[in-house]
Amino acid sequence: MDLALALQLNAVDPLNPINLPYFAARSLLRLTLAFGLSLGFALAYGIAAAMSRRASHVLLPVLDVLQSVPVLGFLPAVFIFVLTRVPGEGGQELASIILIFTAMVWAMTFAVITGINQIPNDIKEASKAYGITRSRYLRQVVLPAIYPELIWGCILAWGGAWYFIPVEEYATFGMTQVQLKGLGFFIAQAAAESRLDSAIIGLVAMVLVIIAINRIVWRPLVARTEKYRYEATGGQRGFHARHGKLRSSLLKYEGRIANPIVTFFKYEKTNLSSFLETVPRVHVPPKVRERLARIFLVTRVIVIIGFLGLMVLVIFFLENSPIPTLQAALNQIQSFQPIKGCTGCLSGFPLLAYSTASSLLRLLAAYLIALGWTLLAGIAIARRQKLAKALIPIFDIGQSIPATALFPIVTLLILSRISSPMGIQLASIVLLLTGMQWYLLFNIIGAIHNIPNDISESTSAYGVSGKRFIREILIPASFPAIISGSMQAWGGGWNATIVSEYIVTGQQQVQQVAGLGAVLVNANNAGSAGTVVIATAIIIMTLTILIINRLVWHRLMKRADRYKFES
Amino acid sequence: MTEEPVIRIDNVSKSFLSEEKPVAVLENVSFNVGKEFLCIVGPSGCGKSTLLRMIDGLDRPSQGNVYFHGKPVEGPTPMMGMVFQTFALIPWKTVLENVEMGLAWMKITEEDRLRRSEKFIQDVGLDGFEASYPKELSGGMKQRVGIARALALEPEVLLMDEPFSSLDALTAEGLRKEVLEIWSNPQFSTNSVIMVTHNVQEAVGMADTVIVMSPRPGKVIDNVRIEMDRPRDQRDPRFYDYVDRIISKIS
Repeated sequence: MDLALALQLNAVDPLNPINLPYFAARSLLRLTLAFGLSLGFALAYGIAAAMSRRASHVLLPVLDVLQSVPVLGFLPAVFIFVLTRVPGEGGQELASIILIFTAMVWAMTFAVITGINQIPNDIKEASKAYGITRSRYLRQVVLPAIYPELIWGCILAWGGAWYFIPVEEYATFGMTQVQLKGLGFFIAQAAAESRLDSAIIGLVAMVLVIIAINRIVWRPLVARTEKYRYEATGGQRGFHARHGKLRSSLLKYEGRIANPIVTFFKYEKTNLSSFLETVPRVHVPPKVRERLARIFLVTRVIVIIGFLGLMVLVIFFLENSPIPTLQAALNQIQSFQPIKGCTGCLSGFPLLAYSTASSLLRLLAAYLIALGWTLLAGIAIARRQKLAKALIPIFDIGQSIPATALFPIVTLLILSRISSPMGIQLASIVLLLTGMQWYLLFNIIGAIHNIPNDISESTSAYGVSGKRFIREILIPASFPAIISGSMQAWGGGWNATIVSEYIVTGQQQVQQVAGLGAVLVNANNAGSAGTVVIATAIIIMTLTILIINRLVWHRLMKRADRYKFES
Repeated sequence: MTEEPVIRIDNVSKSFLSEEKPVAVLENVSFNVGKEFLCIVGPSGCGKSTLLRMIDGLDRPSQGNVYFHGKPVEGPTPMMGMVFQTFALIPWKTVLENVEMGLAWMKITEEDRLRRSEKFIQDVGLDGFEASYPKELSGGMKQRVGIARALALEPEVLLMDEPFSSLDALTAEGLRKEVLEIWSNPQFSTNSVIMVTHNVQEAVGMADTVIVMSPRPGKVIDNVRIEMDRPRDQRDPRFYDYVDRIISKIS
């Protein structure tokens, strides 16, 4: 088929499956360009931060702040800025590449820094003792040390970027409709036209591309990382090889949140404080470290709030609107409604409170379902090794499906059977489930795999089996993993609320449920009239997560220490 | 007709699959264990720990069989207690709960269980540490818990897998003496002790019989009776004759 014919088909029906290779190529091109930029930035920034102590004093805190700002906060600003300067499709492409870049770059930069920090002291001293030049040191010591971490960082980055593809290829901001040819666009357009078959074909194509890239690009590169690792003992190598697959699944899924929009939601611990823990040469007493961590956290919250305020101002400036006074900002919140001109609907702060509670309840429902089935699956896998062999590849494929691409399809499927209000609620919970369950599952499987061999032998030598084994060994052994998995799952879940509470299906019909995610999307669609609402909703979400972490997970985490095996 | 020994290892072979290829670990191993203290020594990788696990029923031979009073071993039983090299204590159980671990197996009342656990905790000198968690204990104390857990079953056979090799030299020496003291106590119900070690001096110092094994695949290359009274003097020339004889076989 020649190109002209293909383009003609494009125009007639963009959802013709014949367009898929072309759409896939467009999405991939966008990802690759953004990846190239990220790689360059990560290497330059990371090497500068890790090699020069003076530079690191500035570069590390800046990096920490940059990566903790939720993408949604500056998505509108980037769109408006780029689209007003570069009109047409070119501007949309540029904006989209910038956004993918922000989703990719932080995981990779931190990978570079971690890699350099893992160079053992004796190697550094030996290079000095043998008078190795700076450029040879970079080539022969630094780059090989970066390699394994960077490969994992790249895998994370791609996972995070795929999550964004459906969002940025089909977005609305105020009057501007962004529609970029690509796999994400294909799925969203199919959903908007209520064409379930096309949407599923698009999703399958996307998953195939993701799996193909993992197989063709990342797996061979990962296989070579072992060579460059500083390993303590030979014995560990076998263990790594055996668990490599599991580890890669775990890490790949981590990638879904190891991007700016969610990193903040996932870890309360800032990168700066976790970085302090990994620096071997600086001794920081635990008390000081704790205080520093608290200071970092507070600074970060302040920075985020400040940043969001700044973004609001930038948007008003770009749109040449008068700068809002505090009163005007409050008015914007108070008059904000998801459905325009709806009488008797909630608006303003009561709406925000109701939305937060609704999102929380749905998250809780999804969390309980996720915890139930993943715990059962973990136990089943622990008891039958063969089951693990069969199921882990299936889980691996399942977790590689970006929830953003899955949402339109789940909604269409459920709405075709169950009518609107109940159906969309159910679809939303299912979607939250896909955003939460894998963290729990892979954490639990990981914990059960890590039960030391001598412990499982001693339990069978002393007749601890069956229910007693589950109650006294398996569940306590996975308890720490359940807690950290839960924290991640709630982070991923909050992230998923943004894409699981609002959808346009057949004939441009808006389907939505009450929730913070829906508020964010509606405010985003309202253009500059919604910016204050976006900032407020993000702050509410952040604070809710912080409070839940403090009240629930941190307390449980302390208790979990008892259930850890000594290393 | 000879009397059936406590444990009879009959032509046992074992191979593992490593990267799809079978690797032989043990080849045609046969020996008997009577009412005695028996040590299995050999270089690392000779399959001696695997052999011990097959005696306890944690692992199965690829060929041949292990008999306990003439019956093939099919799985772990409360009649054997196992002490692990790395202690294998459950971190979230207290000392008392760890020692009690195997007792739920037996049809005894909770009260008896408690009494028995406390008695053995006392016997290994851990009085007052019942409510402690393993991570609060030193290596030597952890292994005492491991030994108390095995003894609490009042097992007929006590199996020990390099029980002293994770401990520092002084602690190990002290604990060896205590194990021998418990063993020589006439009230002690255990008939046989089987201990795996790669330390030849340790084997000669403790055992009635030493089974010497070759490097992988492990075969029995010598079966030495140590005809010396306990406590044994390491400076005794006979002690050195035994040690030399065994070391010359291995290397």
